[in-house]
Amino acid sequence: MAELLSPDLRGCTYFFLYDGSKVKEEGDATREGICYFYPEETPMDKQELLCGQLAGVARCVSELSSSSVRVLRLRRNKYAIRRKDDFLWALGSSVDVPTISVCELLDQLIDLFCFYNGSVRQSYQRNSREVLAMRWAQYLSHLQAGSSELHHIFSCLKTIDATNVDPLLLLKAALILQACQRCPLVLVGCILFRGRVVSTQMSPNLTMKVMVHESETYNKAHKPNGPSTSSSSGGTVSSITVFLTMSELQYLQSTPVDKGFKFHSTPHKDTIPKKTRLSRTLSDTPSTDSEPSDAGSTHSSQKVSFSPCLSASDNVFSPDPSENTTDLLHPPMQSQCPLSNGKSSHDAEEDESFYHSFHTNGGGMSQIGDSSGLEENSHLNGACGTVFDFRAAECGNEESHDHKVGEDSRRGSGGSAHGCSGATNSHNESPLVPMTLYLHRVKGLVLVLLVEPHFLSDTASMEEVYHSSLAALNGLEAHLRTIIPGPPGVQVPYVFAHFDCTQSTMTFSHFSLLFY
Amino acid sequence: MKCLLIASESAEVLFNWTDPEFQQKIQEQYGASQEEGQRLPAFEDSISTLFAPIIISCITMVDRLGDSYASFTTENNHIYVLHQFDECLYIAVNGDGEEGEDDLRRKIYVMKKMIEVLFGMVTLSSNLLRRELRPQDTEQRARLWKHLQSLLETYSHIRENDQSFLVEAVERLIHPTLCEQCIEFLERRLVQQLNSSIERAGEEVMHAFILVHTKLLAFYSSRNASTLVTSDLLTLIIMAQNMYPSCIDLDDPSPEVGDAKRKAPVPGFFNLGVGTPRGVPFKCSSPVFEFVDPDIQMAEDSLQTLEVPPPDPSTPRRVFLEVSLKEGLYPMMPHSMYCLPLWPGITLVLLTKIPTSAVAMSVYTYLEAFAKLEKRLREGQEGSAATRGQPTIHDLRSKLDKFIKALGPSDIQEDQASTESKCATAPCWPQYVIADLLNNEFSFRFSLIPWCKNMKTQLCGIYRQCFLIDPGPSDVPRHLSPGLQERAQTLVQEKLMDWKDFLLVKSRRNITMVSYPDFPGLIHFICVDRSTGQMIAPSLNITERNTSELGKGPVAQFIKSKVWSLVNTTRRYLQKGYSTVTLRDGDFYFCYFLWFENETGYKLEAVDLPILPDDSPPIGMLSWDYYRKLRRYYSKNHQGEVVKCYELLTVHLGVIPSEIILQHCRQLASKLWEPSRNPLL
Repeated sequence: MAELLSPDLRGCTYFFLYDGSKVKEEGDATREGICYFYPEETPMDKQELLCGQLAGVARCVSELSSSSVRVLRLRRNKYAIRRKDDFLWALGSSVDVPTISVCELLDQLIDLFCFYNGSVRQSYQRNSREVLAMRWAQYLSHLQAGSSELHHIFSCLKTIDATNVDPLLLLKAALILQACQRCPLVLVGCILFRGRVVSTQMSPNLTMKVMVHESETYNKAHKPNGPSTSSSSGGTVSSITVFLTMSELQYLQSTPVDKGFKFHSTPHKDTIPKKTRLSRTLSDTPSTDSEPSDAGSTHSSQKVSFSPCLSASDNVFSPDPSENTTDLLHPPMQSQCPLSNGKSSHDAEEDESFYHSFHTNGGGMSQIGDSSGLEENSHLNGACGTVFDFRAAECGNEESHDHKVGEDSRRGSGGSAHGCSGATNSHNESPLVPMTLYLHRVKGLVLVLLVEPHFLSDTASMEEVYHSSLAALNGLEAHLRTIIPGPPGVQVPYVFAHFDCTQSTMTFSHFSLLFY
Repeated sequence: MKCLLIASESAEVLFNWTDPEFQQKIQEQYGASQEEGQRLPAFEDSISTLFAPIIISCITMVDRLGDSYASFTTENNHIYVLHQFDECLYIAVNGDGEEGEDDLRRKIYVMKKMIEVLFGMVTLSSNLLRRELRPQDTEQRARLWKHLQSLLETYSHIRENDQSFLVEAVERLIHPTLCEQCIEFLERRLVQQLNSSIERAGEEVMHAFILVHTKLLAFYSSRNASTLVTSDLLTLIIMAQNMYPSCIDLDDPSPEVGDAKRKAPVPGFFNLGVGTPRGVPFKCSSPVFEFVDPDIQMAEDSLQTLEVPPPDPSTPRRVFLEVSLKEGLYPMMPHSMYCLPLWPGITLVLLTKIPTSAVAMSVYTYLEAFAKLEKRLREGQEGSAATRGQPTIHDLRSKLDKFIKALGPSDIQEDQASTESKCATAPCWPQYVIADLLNNEFSFRFSLIPWCKNMKTQLCGIYRQCFLIDPGPSDVPRHLSPGLQERAQTLVQEKLMDWKDFLLVKSRRNITMVSYPDFPGLIHFICVDRSTGQMIAPSLNITERNTSELGKGPVAQFIKSKVWSLVNTTRRYLQKGYSTVTLRDGDFYFCYFLWFENETGYKLEAVDLPILPDDSPPIGMLSWDYYRKLRRYYSKNHQGEVVKCYELLTVHLGVIPSEIILQHCRQLASKLWEPSRNPLL
């Protein structure tokens, strides 16, 4: 992907991180405070000039207004400014770029850094400037490389061109993610293909962050430089430590749909039914978290739970003979396809949330028919969180070219909007919580899961997740590879673009052929 | 929380204006432990200390990057706008959300315009302007700054309340008969009488106009006068309003009642040589205090100790206005401005040409010549040899010699100035000649550039000496005698005596929407003729006491705020090259059109308007005449045709179908400029 490495970054003229604590006294050279400066080949005196002047003015204005500066506009450039403690970030771009985009880009950039490296102060204590400079450069180039001007301005996610993809494949991807979520240690996941989103359960913010590492590894040019990269089961699986803010974590762990039921049914269930209730992974996580020993036992029991699911899954996919891909899909699907039938056999009696989902399921099936029924279906197993709703929303959206968007997707939008605001609100203050990113690569396809840190030490869970998804991923990869002719190299003139602010995705309709 | 600051390149504060909140904040930051008597310098010091890093950084950026700051925004939405004119850096700050970046930029440009009108070509030399804006004498400085501050406040107040200053065009009282009578009166009786009097001391009345509040009742220019450009006229209205503020907020049929309460404040408060004229029969000092709210008053009080007795009130204000003659365009030509109050709210303004104004024209010619020379020298450095200028240089030299020689004996007062300049210029000539000979030597060229600059400064110095410095008491009368002024005043007063009350009411409700029954659903409109700089709009009465068609207080206030924001929106689009804006907002439907017509009123085809950069001067007529540029731009493709430019802005009820709205707009536009409705100047 040459575009990622292109030095001609759209809009961004300068970026720097300046550490004011290094330059306190009269004799201190400004260069001591420059932690990172882009473009790196800028002469040192110019770097010093820009950093010194902008930092000085920002400080002075902050004092005058008793509030930190957000934007510094010059005649030919504009800078978004962020300050935290002694650190000052500035992202410069040409005046044509909307101010709000520049500010957002800078926020994303800082968030990205914190996501992979933890707090800025600590990472600069632990690592050399050179190492971190490489990362800044990498994040910067990643963020700048929107596939179009509009992508860049709206800083939206790069998705696969859903119009070319069989909706069933997208559904399949969603189902893989849900299957992985059966393991209580797995929070959320997403599937990427050649640096583009196929399906995600995460908020756009989080997806964007997760994609950086993936595209970096996808780019063979970049050597993997994560400090905590550890490959466990073979070369295709890797993991790195990432840091979530408290609000992000809370958002992941909260399951709005579920809450209501939990509240007025049985708030204090004993742990034994939970162990068998494998489908409700998200709601289970907090409790397993608090009891690591218990978590272990949960995983072991999980293995058992998969097999009934397997057998049951056939039922749902077989009544779909119209798709000629179904046969090929079938084997991988079976391994993990989470089904209402399978689930009901386990815990129908004890779980009210299941009752709810069963109810909806039935309704959906009867009313809308096959594809929407599947959607509803996934609802059931997706552990009814907002996270799941997301994915459903995506499904709905992507299918909307062919089918009408169901009620589901609308619900999903609402949920995700919540998540966005929650995630951005307090990225400054909240302490960062280390988490682990688990990546399973099958050629161009990558399954990315956000997991609890002790997932790695839990060999059983890991193997289970690995094996359960392996076949499905292989199948998906094979299909996507044939369908998607690589990333579109040439810009086709478009006449219609749709920005979905909830999912932060951009859809283009290319009608250029109509003119001929 | 507002502030406007002018600083020199050496971070010296040349002027500052702050509202009480800002001042308080600064003082809080500094602990405010100063003694009573030292409050003013202490505040000035603290503000310059606080802003110094910004100013210095701005200058460093220009020097080393060739780029300068345009604006800062903070998280609590404080906005700082910076703009550099030559060596003067203007900084405008807003921290209360009432003004946006555009408003602040406009304020800066308006401030610059007012300084230009007050100081003329002295503004062309940063060095001289610095000294002029910041006199060494603290009393003088305090007086000057207070004058500028009150001008700025007057402007801000009018802009927030007056539609004419919102769109920056002159609003006329729509009363054709009276208007005609007045013009005739000004022409036949007043100006003729004044110009034939021996007491005029060589001055010649060029323009005379009567203002009712901010609206123009009648305007007369003598035959040999050039037209007064809109930006100058608007500035003069601000100045007149500043001298004799009208109670805009107070829609009071009996002003005496309200005024009695306000009369208490310090006498001579606004008297900066322009206060209540002493010899005037009508003592109209009361409305002077209308603007002063208690907070400002408190801040101003600190200056009271420094107040000196004001100069003779019959002394006119020196203003510098653009003059276009057959020979060409001369900006900033000296005039005297006599502002004679007739009644509270009604003012007669006389503009006279001073006898020595020919000197100003010569100075301008030489300044231009040197500026061209400097430019040529600079270009020469870049390799595009320009020896073609040689004859001009010789020409210039001999002419300038003659000019300086003539200047010396002709005017005793200028003696000092001319000797000064002679001393300075004399040693320069040999160098000049050498440079002439070695025209290709870069080094000489290089050394000539600062010399050119020096010459320009010297010329500005002469100009300053001639037109800005008060020559002090002398036997020779230098302006219209107080008696003559008084006579003019009484003359007009007699003429308008019966109309006085009518005019005051009329100015409040110039035209109302009732006059437009053919346009159902139309709530409000503003129509501007940009070629003459005039506008028509129904009045927006927002006070409780007056009920207009728009209803009382809050409703009218709401419409007003809508209109104000709409004008800002349309300007933003105009800047981006859009000449039409339609916008549905709640229950309203807004339309804006800009179009061109030829002299006969035939609508010309639309063209793509130029797209202006973000930091271009604000669109309007007061500080920078955007529309003049626009007409020139348009007429490039319409050679030999007089291009007129109009703007129409309407507010309709949202339920009106858009076809009807468009039809209304068309009809309105044609109706408004019918000659019978609105006699031209």
